[in-house]
Amino acid sequence: MPEPSNQRDLRLDFFRGVALIFIFVDHIPENIFSYFTLQSVGFYDAAEVFIFISGFTAAIVYGQRLAAKGALYASAQVWRRAWQLYVAHVFLFVIFIAEVSYTVMTFNNPMYNEEMRVGDFLSEPHVAVIKALLLQFQPTFLDILPLYIVMLLIFPAVLIGLRYRPLLVLIPSFLVYLAVQVFGISVPAYPEGNVWYFNPLAWQFLFVLGAVLGHASARGRGFPWFRETTIAVAVAIAFAALVIRLSWTFGGLWEGFPGLLLKELWPVNKNNLSPIRLIPFLAAIVLVAAWVPPQARFLRAAASRPLVLAGQQSLEVFCLGILLSALGHFILSEYERGVAMQVLVNVGGIAGMLFTAKMIDWYKKMDRAPIAQATRTRPLPGDGAVR
Amino acid sequence: MTRQIASRLAPLFLCAALAAGMAAPAINAKTEVAECEVPADLQVVSAGLPRLAAKLRARQPVVIVAIGGASTKGAAAGAPELAYPHRLQVALAHVYPDVPFKVVNKGVPRQSAQQMFERFPSDVFAEDPVLVIWEAGIVDAVRGFEIDDFAGAMQQGIEELKNRAIDIVLMDMQFSRSTATVINFERYLNTLHRVGDLNQVYVFPRFAMMRYWSEQNVFNFDEVAADERAKLAAKVYDCIGRRMAHSLRIGIQ
Repeated sequence: MPEPSNQRDLRLDFFRGVALIFIFVDHIPENIFSYFTLQSVGFYDAAEVFIFISGFTAAIVYGQRLAAKGALYASAQVWRRAWQLYVAHVFLFVIFIAEVSYTVMTFNNPMYNEEMRVGDFLSEPHVAVIKALLLQFQPTFLDILPLYIVMLLIFPAVLIGLRYRPLLVLIPSFLVYLAVQVFGISVPAYPEGNVWYFNPLAWQFLFVLGAVLGHASARGRGFPWFRETTIAVAVAIAFAALVIRLSWTFGGLWEGFPGLLLKELWPVNKNNLSPIRLIPFLAAIVLVAAWVPPQARFLRAAASRPLVLAGQQSLEVFCLGILLSALGHFILSEYERGVAMQVLVNVGGIAGMLFTAKMIDWYKKMDRAPIAQATRTRPLPGDGAVR
Repeated sequence: MTRQIASRLAPLFLCAALAAGMAAPAINAKTEVAECEVPADLQVVSAGLPRLAAKLRARQPVVIVAIGGASTKGAAAGAPELAYPHRLQVALAHVYPDVPFKVVNKGVPRQSAQQMFERFPSDVFAEDPVLVIWEAGIVDAVRGFEIDDFAGAMQQGIEELKNRAIDIVLMDMQFSRSTATVINFERYLNTLHRVGDLNQVYVFPRFAMMRYWSEQNVFNFDEVAADERAKLAAKVYDCIGRRMAHSLRIGIQ
C-alpha cells in the first residue's frame, strides 16, 4: 500500500505532474504558452518525461506487488491498468468522432472538399471504428495512449525479467531500439500509409530504461554512474542541446536569428525517438537525479502540492488534459485566438487539471478511510493504480 | 471583436443603402478592393527571384509551372480559368503588358509532397519553366504523414529545382476554420516554412492570408447558399493569384 510520504520520491510525482501540464499546453496548436514548455528549450518534450517516469514508477509499484504476492497477481494488476487505459482511449475516440462528424457533416467549404475526403474520417466509419478499437487509428490527440497500453501489455515480461537479470531486459530492448534507428522499422497504422505516431518499437526503450532504473532505485541501489565525469559529460550535453535548441526557437521567432546546426540536425525525428532527442534527455535525467534530492524542499512546498497530486493521479489527469486541449483548440479556432483568450484557455485548462487531481486525491482518501472504526483488511479497488 | 461586430452589421448597412438606392454601387466597389488586401507583415518577400527578374528585364517569354494539389487545380471554382494559376497569369499580364506569360497548371488532387516531387520530370522539367510555384502540405497534414518524410520530399524537390537553375516559390496550406478544428496543420506549416528558410526560398503565406480574410469576414462560406460557394471559391482563387503576382513583383526587385 502507499508508502509513508516521507519516503516517497516526490521528484517522480512532481515532474510527471509538470509533464502532464506541458502535454496539455503542447497539444493546443499555435499556443503561445508552448514557448514556455520543454519542447522549445530541449530536443525532447514532455512525452519523454511522461514515458520514462511511467516506466520508473511501474517498476517500483508492481515490483512490490510481485515480491509480495507473486508474478501472476502483479501481471493481473498491470493488465487491469492497461484495460483502464484502453477504456480511456475508446472514450477519447468517441469524443474525437463526435467532433469530426459534426465538422464534416456541417462542412460547406468547397475549397477543402477533396482534402477532407482524403482524411477518410467518415467515408468508412465501420472500418475506422474497428481500427480504433485495434489501436490502429490514431488521429490527432489519440496517439500517446496506444503506446502506453502496449507498454503495459508487455510489462509483466519486463517485470519478471528484472527480478532475475536487469541486463537481460535492457539489452534486447536497446537492440530493438537500435534496429529501428538503423533500418527505420515502423508499425503500420490506419489509414494505409500511416504509421504509429509513437513507434512502440523505439519508445519501449525509454519505458524499459525507466523500469530498469526504477527497479534499481527500489532496491536502494544508487546510480553507479554518478561520478564527476558522468555529471560533467551530462552538463556538456545538456548545455549544448539547450543552446542549439534555443537558437532554433529564437530563429523561428525572429527572421535572421541563426539556427545553430539547423541544416544538420533538423528535423529531429519524434516518431522513432531519434538519438538527438534521447541523448539530451538522458543527460537531463542524470542531472536531475544528481542534483535534485527526492525530498528537496521545493518538492514539499505548498505551491508544488497541486503538481505532485496531478502526477500521482496521472491517468485521470492525462485523459482530462487531452480532452481539454481538444476543447481549447476548438475554442481558439472557432471563436477567437487572441492572446487574452489563449491565456484564458491555458489557465482554465491547467486549473481544471489541478483541481481534478485534488478532488480525486480527496476521494481516494475518503474511500480508504475506515467506516465507523470497522477495520478492513481487504485491499481497496483503486490502490493498484500506478502513481 | 469590434471588427467582427462591424462586419456582422455590414449587411444591415448594405440593406439600408440599397433601400436608399444611390449608395449601393459605391459600397460594392469598396468591398471588392478590400477583399484581396492583407496586412503588411504578410507582404514581406524574404528571398529573391533572380532568374525570373532576368527574363523580365530581357522582355523574354516567361513560363511558370504551378504544381500542387486540389487547390492549385481549382476545381472548387468550376473552371480552369478560375483557378489561381490562371488568375496569376492574368494579373501578371496586366502588370507587364509587353511580356508574354504562361502559367501552367499542374495541380493534381490528393497528392502528398512526395507524389508531387515524383511528377517533376514529366510535369515540371518538360515545361522548361523559369519559376516553379510548389503548393504542398495539405494532404500530408490531413493524412498525418511523418514530418520527416514531408520535409525530406520538399528538400529533395528544392535541391532538384536549384540544380536545374529554376527559381522557386513555395505555397503553404489553405485555411478553413472548420478544417482547422479537426486537422492540426501547425507542425506541417512550421516545417514548410523552416524548409523555406533553410534553403532561402520564399514561402507564400496562403494560410495566414486566408485566415486573415476569414477573421475579417471577407470570405465566409458558412452564411452562403450552396450554389454561391463556387463563386466565392473563385473569388478566393482570384485573390490568391493577385497576391502571388504582387509577391513576385517584390521578389524580382
